[in-house]
Amino acid sequence: MEAGGFTAPGGRRSALQRPSGARLPDIILQWGVTLLSAAILVLIAYFFLKLIQESTTVFDRFGVLGFTFDNDWDVARSVFGALPLVVGTLITSAIALLIGVPVAVATALYITELCPRRFRSPLTIVVELLAAVPSVVYGLWAFIVIIPFLKPAEQWFADTFSFIPFVGGQVAGPNYFIAGLVLAIMILPIVSAITREVMSTVPPDHKEAALALGATRWEMIRTAILPYSRAGISGAAMLGLGRAIGETIAVTIVIGNAPNIGHSIFSQGYTLAAVIANEFGEAASNPLHRSALIAAGLVLFVLTLLVNLIARFYVVRAERGPRTPRMIAPGMGQ
Amino acid sequence: MRSRNLLALAAVGVLVVGAAACGSSSSSSTTSSSGKKVGGTISGAGATFPQPVYDEWGNRFKSKTGTTVNYNPIGSGGGIAQFTAGTVDFGATDSAMKDSEVAAAKKKGDPVHVPTVFGAITVSYNVSGLAKGLKLDGATIANIFLGKIKKWNDPAIKTLNPSMSLPSTAITVVHRSDASGTTKLFTTFLQDSSPTWAKQVGSDKTVKWPTGTGAAKNAGVAAAVKQTDGAVGYVEQAYALQNNFTTADVKNKAGQYVAPTLASTTAAGQGLTVPSDLRFSAINKSTNPQAYPIASATFLLVYKDQCKAGKSQQTAQLVVNWLNYGLTDGQQVAPELQYAPLPANVLAPAKAAVAGLVCNGTPLKPNA
Amino acid sequence: MNGTPGSVLPPVAPRRRRTDRIMRLVLGSATVLAIVPLVLVIFYLLQKGLGSWSINFFTTDPSGKFFGDPGGVKSAILGTIEMVALATLIAVPIGIGVAIYLVEYGKRGRFAQVVRYFVDVMTGVPSIVFGLFIYITLVLAGTGGTAFAGWKGSAALALLMLPIVTRAGEVVLSLVPDSLREAALALGAPRWRVVFRIVLPTALPGLITGMLLAVARAAGETAPLIFTATIVKGTSLDLNGPMNSLPAQIFSDVGQAQDRLVARAWGAALTLVLMILMLTTLARVVSRRSRLI
Repeated sequence: MEAGGFTAPGGRRSALQRPSGARLPDIILQWGVTLLSAAILVLIAYFFLKLIQESTTVFDRFGVLGFTFDNDWDVARSVFGALPLVVGTLITSAIALLIGVPVAVATALYITELCPRRFRSPLTIVVELLAAVPSVVYGLWAFIVIIPFLKPAEQWFADTFSFIPFVGGQVAGPNYFIAGLVLAIMILPIVSAITREVMSTVPPDHKEAALALGATRWEMIRTAILPYSRAGISGAAMLGLGRAIGETIAVTIVIGNAPNIGHSIFSQGYTLAAVIANEFGEAASNPLHRSALIAAGLVLFVLTLLVNLIARFYVVRAERGPRTPRMIAPGMGQ
Repeated sequence: MRSRNLLALAAVGVLVVGAAACGSSSSSSTTSSSGKKVGGTISGAGATFPQPVYDEWGNRFKSKTGTTVNYNPIGSGGGIAQFTAGTVDFGATDSAMKDSEVAAAKKKGDPVHVPTVFGAITVSYNVSGLAKGLKLDGATIANIFLGKIKKWNDPAIKTLNPSMSLPSTAITVVHRSDASGTTKLFTTFLQDSSPTWAKQVGSDKTVKWPTGTGAAKNAGVAAAVKQTDGAVGYVEQAYALQNNFTTADVKNKAGQYVAPTLASTTAAGQGLTVPSDLRFSAINKSTNPQAYPIASATFLLVYKDQCKAGKSQQTAQLVVNWLNYGLTDGQQVAPELQYAPLPANVLAPAKAAVAGLVCNGTPLKPNA
Repeated sequence: MNGTPGSVLPPVAPRRRRTDRIMRLVLGSATVLAIVPLVLVIFYLLQKGLGSWSINFFTTDPSGKFFGDPGGVKSAILGTIEMVALATLIAVPIGIGVAIYLVEYGKRGRFAQVVRYFVDVMTGVPSIVFGLFIYITLVLAGTGGTAFAGWKGSAALALLMLPIVTRAGEVVLSLVPDSLREAALALGAPRWRVVFRIVLPTALPGLITGMLLAVARAAGETAPLIFTATIVKGTSLDLNGPMNSLPAQIFSDVGQAQDRLVARAWGAALTLVLMILMLTTLARVVSRRSRLI
């Protein structure tokens, strides 16, 4: 109810009525913020369109599929097939998920279910602190400390398990595995935080029912919490994946920046984000190269968009909870 | 009440930034030795090969004239690209621009190559048990970088070094991952020395390396070599000195094995003929028995008419001052970092090129 | 019942008890594993970073000297503060403005839903894509007379901060009880007064928290800056020229062979992490004072 538009019976000016000019600030505010929001939309649309526009040069030359799936990124010959980059992005993200998600879920479980109450808050803060360390610092630490430290172990692993495909051969210093490991550390806080959120929506009844039936703590987790949270955990993993795909600086420091598809997880590789960071300087005056890098950015953007969409679908579904009860006992309820 | 707190917070923030501003504005006043203080800032980007000497020049140029030179070492490829795009005031490259690159730059004007110093590309190795002064010739180096020679005690290396004890460590090749003039110069040498290399890989700022790990910039290759036992990489002399690398003695055109030193780098520049546009490479050219074969000049790039290319009169003047410094005082500074000054027959055309720089048609004379 | 006296449940089979114990151990170890990197990073930061700290470190610029004293990181610290401050000045008013629209005016409307969706999309964009965008629209075009400029770095950071501030703002503003708004309106206050005198002040701690978190995020970003403000050595206050920053300085020093440069990188990293930690701790403290959360 907008004050000021009320006329008292008898035609007298109401105590609440204001001169019409007083409407002005209201109108300014409303229009101001609406226009601001519209401007943001325009900016985002322009952003997307500009990326597409600049990519057309390279897409015209190689085709969208050709650019994305040709295995030949050769700047000197002006050939731009981004497959090594896409594969590198996927490999490092996969490693990040394989290592990071189980640890994050385990951490979330431990914090919410198993650890003594007084440790809950400090532990949560500690895990969240992982997110406060900037990417470049992780890169620095991994490059100076982790790479030399893990190299002998990696070489041993490669030699012992060389029968597994994609393992074996000479271990390069910076490689896919180290990049995946650093990414896993970086996505831990976000996956853990969302998993904790999701787990807090598990109805206490389910948990108590399991315990009442004699389940051990772990069995309760296994039967009541995990199945219920599956969708949410998938969503959290997808959000972590989105973060891992777009991570640039830490990856470019530890991946070796070689535009080939390495034959093992211990080979040097490249990712979409890293190539943009490394080559933009050289591409300044070469329209085709510049277009190729922007197209790489576009592919990256589309990938993260897709992954985030899937993630949100899962997380929203998880938070809403299953709409139908899992089991209806005969004769009970509708 | 709360909005007042917010305002207070904002005011504090402004004060902090303001204090910082006042604090640092005094950084440009320095005691002058001689020459006029013109101040100002110019920016350049490019090769990492001459970065040590340009940084040192930059420091001394600043004390002399007050002008700050921001040099961003991003590799020769980046230097040419940024120069052509006009995002920097001058570019830097070890490898003279190709015809296609010149054509692209012509949109803004005529690019001028100004050679500044000669430097040596060392073949640096980090092998425990291997002393310094390993003798290598072009063909053997090519085979190492082709991946054909895999261990340090390979017979090919043994033949050249009969009296040296060679460990059986595996060779890890380290090369550049970014577009580099140093790569171009190094691969020119390999191409000259090995028909297999010429056919399989060729010579350019980026090549498809048959083997090895990549690192960005001269500094990155140096770091990678330092980190790995058995590694070999190609880095400019100053980087090898800075890290106490063991470097190989390379066989030159006269058949002598020469170590990379200031003297051998200077010798490499003697007796060269340079084209009028100063786009040349000295790799493996000199027949002087004391010349180091993998040595060449590095260039600064600037447009003949800087103002027509989009720079202001003031920037153009400062760039001319900088170039002039490099070709006069700078030539005395270079040997301190083991870079060789330009030989007379290169210095003269270089100075002439700088004298020919104009701003919208008006010649620019150095004024500091 | 053959359980222990007082228990109604049969005793747990030893196998199940063992599994429970093992899984507890596994989960506990995983948690420790998660914390190990943080502990290691902090340990190395302190060990190697503190060693580089000195008065010289904070008061001299990187000298670029190859063989001599490499200098400190003064220009990097100042550059970060300047660029992040400008980015905050851009992103916060706009972000809060959009949040006000979404909560006070747009609500469930079609347009608001679209805006909300696109802001969400923005949160997922990798920072390097923002940097690239600013690079092609502002740097290569030479807007403002110079190519690389501090304010362009701020623009890229602002793009990064905007969705964070908007999202947090929306959440906090919508937590302000409607009863407060309605009471003010019933007393005859115009809409704008309600927003500025009732809603915003009530939500202020939450807004500040959101802002501080966005600032912390922006302070640590490297990718947007290497494209736009580039890496320079000298201190510059000219936001219309290239400007140094802590993340860019660290990035530049990382791959170096010279130990002194790497040591400087650690010192700069420690400085950066401390700055970010102060911001996040402040955010936490402020949010605790909020009456809403």
